[in-house]
Amino acid sequence: MKNKIPELGIKVLLLFPILFLFSCHSSDQQNAQSSRRTDTVVIQQMQFVPASITVQKGDSIVWINKDMVDHTVKEEKNGFYSDTIHVGKTWKIAATENANYVCTIHPTMKGKIVIK
Amino acid sequence: MKIIKLLTKSAICFAVSTGFISFSANAQKAVNLTDPEIASIAVTANQIDIDYAKIAEQKSHDQAVINFAQTMAKDHQSVIDQAVALVTKLGVTPKDNATSKSLKAGEAKTIKMLKSKSGKAFDKAYINNEVGYHKAVIKEVETALIPDAKNAELKSLLQNVLPVLKSHLSHAEMVQKEVNK
Repeated sequence: MKNKIPELGIKVLLLFPILFLFSCHSSDQQNAQSSRRTDTVVIQQMQFVPASITVQKGDSIVWINKDMVDHTVKEEKNGFYSDTIHVGKTWKIAATENANYVCTIHPTMKGKIVIK
Repeated sequence: MKIIKLLTKSAICFAVSTGFISFSANAQKAVNLTDPEIASIAVTANQIDIDYAKIAEQKSHDQAVINFAQTMAKDHQSVIDQAVALVTKLGVTPKDNATSKSLKAGEAKTIKMLKSKSGKAFDKAYINNEVGYHKAVIKEVETALIPDAKNAELKSLLQNVLPVLKSHLSHAEMVQKEVNK
């Protein structure tokens, strides 16, 4: 019994920093996740609004088609592709790198993603 | 470059002068259009471009021309669907009028002309007509349909159609440059 008290103390002393570090790491992860934003690009009047959007790496971007006709969002170098975004529908991605994109149905419509 | 511009202008002038692109009935702006007449013109003008697109989808072998035609067919059908939904909601019955009749007469001539051509000549004729047609429709929407529309929702729909038409014109001019090379 006498030996068990110091043994318990040692275990607590060893576990405390581990638990502390774990809680900090977990908190960092939660902070990173909760700090990730979702930004919006509205498709209206045959334009991406805003035409250039600046976001943090990992942030989400959602395109909302408020136009009269269907559109697409395609990265110019064969990266991401939304397929058809029908009138009133949305499409979302996590932004990972700078990108120039177009609407493949209306090639005069262009947009840009800039990572901070 | 100057030659291409000259040819394009000539093609549009020819099309307008021969009645292929015709808004002559309303060009003089003798009378204001009513909402039922505007609805009829809007549906007719969109349907005509779908009809041209279907011919292009069948006759052209140029992928840029085919893609453009597919976009015209889909977009103008989407506009018609929304226009029909709106006028149905408003209880407006589209009414034939001098402008819509003139448009149909112009369409008949254009379809005859397009069907008489093939290959590169067809592609040029189709895309030149698209450039001229969209210019004429944009002018009609800006100067007659929007100002004359009484109902706010109909006016708003026409205002939203305008950027679609302007985007189509830019797209047509882009394809025209390639086709006329």
